[in-house]
Amino acid sequence: MSTAFDPAFDLMVERVVPVSAERAWTAWTEPQHVRRWYAPAPGDISECEIDLRPGGVFRFVPRQPDGTENPITCCYLEIVPFRRLVWTNALRPGYRPAPDGFFTAVMTLDPVGDATRCRTVAMHRSEDDRAQHEAMGFHHGWGTVLDQLVTYAPSV
Amino acid sequence: MVTCMAAATVMDDVFRALADPTRRDVVARLTSRSASVSELAEPFQMALPSFVQHLRVLESSGLVRSTKAGRVRTYHLVPQRLRVAEDWLAGQRDMWERRMDRFEAYVTEMPADVVDEGA
Repeated sequence: MSTAFDPAFDLMVERVVPVSAERAWTAWTEPQHVRRWYAPAPGDISECEIDLRPGGVFRFVPRQPDGTENPITCCYLEIVPFRRLVWTNALRPGYRPAPDGFFTAVMTLDPVGDATRCRTVAMHRSEDDRAQHEAMGFHHGWGTVLDQLVTYAPSV
Repeated sequence: MVTCMAAATVMDDVFRALADPTRRDVVARLTSRSASVSELAEPFQMALPSFVQHLRVLESSGLVRSTKAGRVRTYHLVPQRLRVAEDWLAGQRDMWERRMDRFEAYVTEMPADVVDEGA
Protein backbone atom coordinates (compact mmCIF):
# COMPACT_ATOMS: atom_id res chain seq x y z
CA MET A 1 0.00 0.00 0.00
CA SER A 2 1.32 3.44 -0.85
CA THR A 3 0.70 6.52 1.23
CA ALA A 4 0.33 10.11 0.03
CA PHE A 5 3.19 12.38 1.01
CA ASP A 6 2.11 15.47 2.95
CA PRO A 7 4.95 18.02 2.98
CA ALA A 8 3.52 19.78 6.01
CA PHE A 9 3.88 16.76 8.26
CA ASP A 10 6.02 14.21 6.48
CA LEU A 11 9.63 13.99 5.59
CA MET A 12 11.63 11.72 3.33
CA VAL A 13 15.29 10.88 3.69
CA GLU A 14 17.13 8.53 1.38
CA ARG A 15 20.61 7.18 0.86
CA VAL A 16 22.06 4.86 -1.77
CA VAL A 17 24.34 2.39 -0.02
CA PRO A 18 26.92 0.15 -1.74
CA VAL A 19 25.56 -3.11 -0.33
CA SER A 20 22.81 -5.60 -1.20
CA ALA A 21 19.24 -5.13 -0.01
CA GLU A 22 19.74 -8.25 2.15
CA ARG A 23 22.62 -6.65 4.04
CA ALA A 24 20.80 -3.34 4.39
CA TRP A 25 17.78 -5.25 5.72
CA THR A 26 19.96 -7.00 8.29
CA ALA A 27 21.28 -3.64 9.52
CA TRP A 28 17.70 -2.45 10.06
CA THR A 29 16.23 -5.56 11.65
CA GLU A 30 18.81 -7.16 13.98
CA PRO A 31 19.36 -5.53 17.38
CA GLN A 32 23.12 -5.99 17.46
CA HIS A 33 23.33 -3.98 14.24
CA VAL A 34 20.59 -1.42 14.96
CA ARG A 35 22.36 -0.53 18.20
CA ARG A 36 25.47 0.43 16.29
CA TRP A 37 23.95 3.18 14.16
CA TYR A 38 20.28 3.99 14.94
CA ALA A 39 21.02 6.83 17.37
CA PRO A 40 21.76 10.07 15.54
CA ALA A 41 25.28 11.21 16.51
CA PRO A 42 26.51 12.01 19.09
CA GLY A 43 24.26 9.69 21.11
CA ASP A 44 24.20 5.91 21.08
CA ILE A 45 21.71 3.10 21.73
CA SER A 46 22.07 1.37 25.10
CA GLU A 47 19.36 -1.25 24.47
CA CYS A 48 17.44 -2.55 21.47
CA GLU A 49 14.68 -5.15 21.32
CA ILE A 50 13.14 -6.43 18.09
CA ASP A 51 10.35 -8.91 17.50
CA LEU A 52 10.20 -8.84 13.73
CA ARG A 53 6.56 -9.52 12.93
CA PRO A 54 3.43 -7.38 12.56
CA GLY A 55 2.42 -6.29 16.04
CA GLY A 56 5.91 -7.10 17.32
CA VAL A 57 8.00 -4.79 19.46
CA PHE A 58 10.66 -2.39 18.25
CA ARG A 59 12.08 -0.86 21.39
CA PHE A 60 15.27 1.15 21.64
CA VAL A 61 16.90 3.32 24.26
CA PRO A 62 18.81 6.30 22.90
CA ARG A 63 21.46 7.55 25.31
CA GLN A 64 22.64 11.15 25.12
CA PRO A 65 26.31 11.99 25.73
CA ASP A 66 25.31 13.25 29.23
CA GLY A 67 23.88 9.79 30.03
CA THR A 68 20.20 10.73 29.64
CA GLU A 69 18.16 7.78 28.36
CA ASN A 70 14.73 8.04 26.72
CA PRO A 71 13.28 4.62 25.82
CA ILE A 72 11.10 4.61 22.70
CA THR A 73 8.66 1.76 22.14
CA CYS A 74 7.20 1.14 18.70
CA CYS A 75 5.05 -1.51 17.05
CA TYR A 76 5.89 -3.09 13.69
CA LEU A 77 3.01 -2.86 11.24
CA GLU A 78 4.33 -4.39 8.06
CA ILE A 79 7.33 -6.55 7.25
CA VAL A 80 8.26 -7.48 3.69
CA PRO A 81 11.73 -9.03 3.96
CA PHE A 82 14.46 -7.13 2.10
CA ARG A 83 11.89 -4.64 0.75
CA ARG A 84 9.77 -2.78 3.24
CA LEU A 85 9.47 -2.16 6.97
CA VAL A 86 6.72 -0.11 8.62
CA TRP A 87 6.54 0.81 12.30
CA THR A 88 4.87 3.39 14.54
CA ASN A 89 4.98 4.72 18.07
CA ALA A 90 1.25 5.48 17.86
CA LEU A 91 0.65 1.84 18.81
CA ARG A 92 2.21 -0.26 21.51
CA PRO A 93 3.37 -3.77 20.62
CA GLY A 94 0.31 -5.95 20.04
CA TYR A 95 -1.47 -2.97 18.42
CA ARG A 96 -2.59 -1.42 21.71
CA PRO A 97 -3.13 2.34 21.15
CA ALA A 98 -0.41 4.50 22.64
CA PRO A 99 -1.39 7.82 24.24
CA ASP A 100 1.67 9.73 23.16
CA GLY A 101 2.64 8.41 19.72
CA PHE A 102 3.17 10.80 16.88
CA PHE A 103 4.84 9.09 13.93
CA THR A 104 4.73 6.19 11.49
CA ALA A 105 7.88 5.35 9.57
CA VAL A 106 8.03 3.52 6.24
CA MET A 107 11.44 2.22 5.21
CA THR A 108 11.84 0.78 1.71
CA LEU A 109 14.80 -0.86 0.01
CA ASP A 110 15.21 -0.90 -3.77
CA PRO A 111 18.12 -2.55 -5.57
CA VAL A 112 19.95 -0.12 -7.88
CA GLY A 113 22.54 -2.16 -9.75
CA ASP A 114 24.91 -3.53 -7.09
CA ALA A 115 23.74 -0.90 -4.61
CA THR A 116 20.52 -0.35 -2.69
CA ARG A 117 18.39 2.74 -2.34
CA CYS A 118 17.18 3.05 1.22
CA ARG A 119 14.32 5.50 1.64
CA THR A 120 12.63 6.40 4.88
CA VAL A 121 9.38 8.36 5.01
CA ALA A 122 8.31 9.56 8.45
CA MET A 123 4.70 10.67 8.75
CA HIS A 124 3.71 12.85 11.71
CA ARG A 125 0.54 13.92 13.42
CA SER A 126 -1.33 17.12 12.61
CA GLU A 127 -0.35 20.68 13.52
CA ASP A 128 -2.46 20.77 16.69
CA ASP A 129 -0.81 17.64 18.00
CA ARG A 130 2.54 19.02 17.06
CA ALA A 131 1.86 22.23 18.97
CA GLN A 132 0.88 20.10 21.93
CA HIS A 133 4.09 18.11 21.70
CA GLU A 134 6.06 21.33 21.69
CA ALA A 135 4.19 22.42 24.81
CA MET A 136 4.96 19.05 26.37
CA GLY A 137 8.66 19.62 26.04
CA PHE A 138 9.70 19.06 22.46
CA HIS A 139 10.05 22.81 22.20
CA HIS A 140 13.65 23.78 22.75
CA GLY A 141 14.78 26.88 24.61
CA TRP A 142 17.25 29.26 23.03
CA GLY A 143 20.12 27.86 25.01
CA THR A 144 19.36 24.28 24.05
CA VAL A 145 19.11 25.19 20.40
CA LEU A 146 22.46 26.93 20.49
CA ASP A 147 24.04 24.00 22.33
CA GLN A 148 22.73 21.65 19.66
CA LEU A 149 23.99 23.91 16.92
CA VAL A 150 27.44 23.87 18.47
CA THR A 151 27.35 20.10 18.19
CA TYR A 152 25.80 19.98 14.75
CA ALA A 153 27.44 22.89 13.00
CA PRO A 154 31.00 21.53 12.66
CA SER A 155 29.71 18.80 10.35
CA VAL A 156 27.88 21.22 8.03
CA MET B 1 8.18 18.74 -0.82
CA VAL B 2 8.46 22.48 -1.44
CA THR B 3 7.83 23.40 2.18
CA CYS B 4 10.39 20.91 3.45
CA MET B 5 13.01 21.95 0.93
CA ALA B 6 12.52 25.67 1.55
CA ALA B 7 12.76 25.11 5.28
CA ALA B 8 15.83 22.93 4.77
CA THR B 9 17.55 25.62 2.68
CA VAL B 10 16.86 28.32 5.24
CA MET B 11 18.06 25.97 7.94
CA ASP B 12 21.28 25.29 6.02
CA ASP B 13 21.96 29.04 5.85
CA VAL B 14 21.25 29.41 9.54
CA PHE B 15 23.43 26.45 10.50
CA ARG B 16 26.24 27.66 8.25
CA ALA B 17 26.09 31.11 9.81
CA LEU B 18 26.27 29.51 13.24
CA ALA B 19 29.08 27.14 12.32
CA ASP B 20 31.59 29.63 13.73
CA PRO B 21 32.13 30.21 17.48
CA THR B 22 32.48 33.99 17.09
CA ARG B 23 29.16 34.21 15.29
CA ARG B 24 27.46 31.92 17.81
CA ASP B 25 28.67 34.16 20.60
CA VAL B 26 27.29 37.23 18.83
CA VAL B 27 23.89 35.55 18.40
CA ALA B 28 23.88 34.39 22.01
CA ARG B 29 24.55 37.94 23.23
CA LEU B 30 21.96 39.47 20.90
CA THR B 31 19.31 37.20 22.43
CA SER B 32 19.46 39.39 25.55
CA ARG B 33 19.69 42.80 23.85
CA SER B 34 20.66 44.67 20.69
CA ALA B 35 24.24 45.95 20.56
CA SER B 36 26.54 48.16 18.53
CA VAL B 37 29.42 46.84 16.43
CA SER B 38 31.99 48.06 18.95
CA GLU B 39 30.11 46.48 21.87
CA LEU B 40 29.89 43.18 20.01
CA ALA B 41 33.55 43.27 18.95
CA GLU B 42 34.86 44.19 22.40
CA PRO B 43 35.42 40.65 23.83
CA PHE B 44 37.30 39.47 20.73
CA GLN B 45 41.01 39.79 19.93
CA MET B 46 40.25 40.31 16.28
CA ALA B 47 40.81 43.01 13.69
CA LEU B 48 37.62 44.99 13.22
CA PRO B 49 37.29 44.27 9.47
CA SER B 50 37.39 40.50 10.21
CA PHE B 51 34.76 40.91 12.89
CA VAL B 52 32.56 42.99 10.60
CA GLN B 53 32.82 40.17 8.05
CA HIS B 54 31.29 37.79 10.63
CA LEU B 55 28.45 40.25 11.17
CA ARG B 56 27.83 40.33 7.42
CA VAL B 57 27.56 36.54 7.29
CA LEU B 58 25.04 36.63 10.12
CA GLU B 59 23.05 39.38 8.45
CA SER B 60 22.93 37.60 5.09
CA SER B 61 21.58 34.48 6.81
CA GLY B 62 18.72 36.60 8.15
CA LEU B 63 19.60 35.79 11.76
CA VAL B 64 20.35 39.44 12.54
CA ARG B 65 19.59 42.82 11.01
CA SER B 66 21.29 46.16 11.56
CA THR B 67 20.23 49.78 11.81
CA LYS B 68 22.46 52.84 11.58
CA ALA B 69 22.09 56.00 13.63
CA GLY B 70 24.78 58.57 12.87
CA ARG B 71 28.08 56.67 12.96
CA VAL B 72 26.79 53.85 15.13
CA ARG B 73 25.53 50.62 13.58
CA THR B 74 23.41 48.53 15.91
CA TYR B 75 22.65 44.84 15.44
CA HIS B 76 19.39 43.16 16.41
CA LEU B 77 18.40 39.53 16.56
CA VAL B 78 15.68 38.33 14.17
CA PRO B 79 14.01 35.72 16.40
CA GLN B 80 11.81 34.31 13.61
CA ARG B 81 14.90 33.17 11.76
CA LEU B 82 16.41 31.38 14.71
CA ARG B 83 13.06 29.72 15.28
CA VAL B 84 13.41 28.10 11.87
CA ALA B 85 16.30 26.17 13.35
CA GLU B 86 14.13 24.85 16.12
CA ASP B 87 11.10 24.13 13.96
CA TRP B 88 9.82 20.77 15.02
CA LEU B 89 9.70 19.11 11.65
CA ALA B 90 13.11 20.50 10.78
CA GLY B 91 14.34 18.92 13.98
CA GLN B 92 12.90 15.58 12.96
CA ARG B 93 14.46 15.91 9.52
CA ASP B 94 17.81 16.69 11.07
CA MET B 95 17.50 13.60 13.26
CA TRP B 96 16.66 11.36 10.31
CA GLU B 97 19.43 12.81 8.14
CA ARG B 98 21.98 12.14 10.86
CA ARG B 99 20.56 8.67 11.50
CA MET B 100 20.72 7.79 7.81
CA ASP B 101 24.28 9.11 7.64
CA ARG B 102 25.18 6.63 10.35
CA PHE B 103 23.24 3.86 8.63
CA GLU B 104 25.15 4.52 5.42
CA ALA B 105 28.51 4.52 7.18
CA TYR B 106 27.68 1.42 9.24
CA VAL B 107 26.17 -0.75 6.53
CA THR B 108 29.06 0.05 4.20
CA GLU B 109 31.57 -1.22 6.77
CA MET B 110 29.40 -4.05 8.11
CA PRO B 111 31.34 -7.34 8.25
CA ALA B 112 30.64 -9.57 5.26
CA ASP B 113 29.92 -12.56 7.50
CA VAL B 114 27.20 -10.80 9.49
CA VAL B 115 27.71 -12.63 12.77
CA ASP B 116 25.19 -12.60 15.59
CA GLU B 117 27.13 -11.18 18.52
CA GLY B 118 24.37 -12.20 20.90
CA ALA B 119 23.96 -8.58 21.96
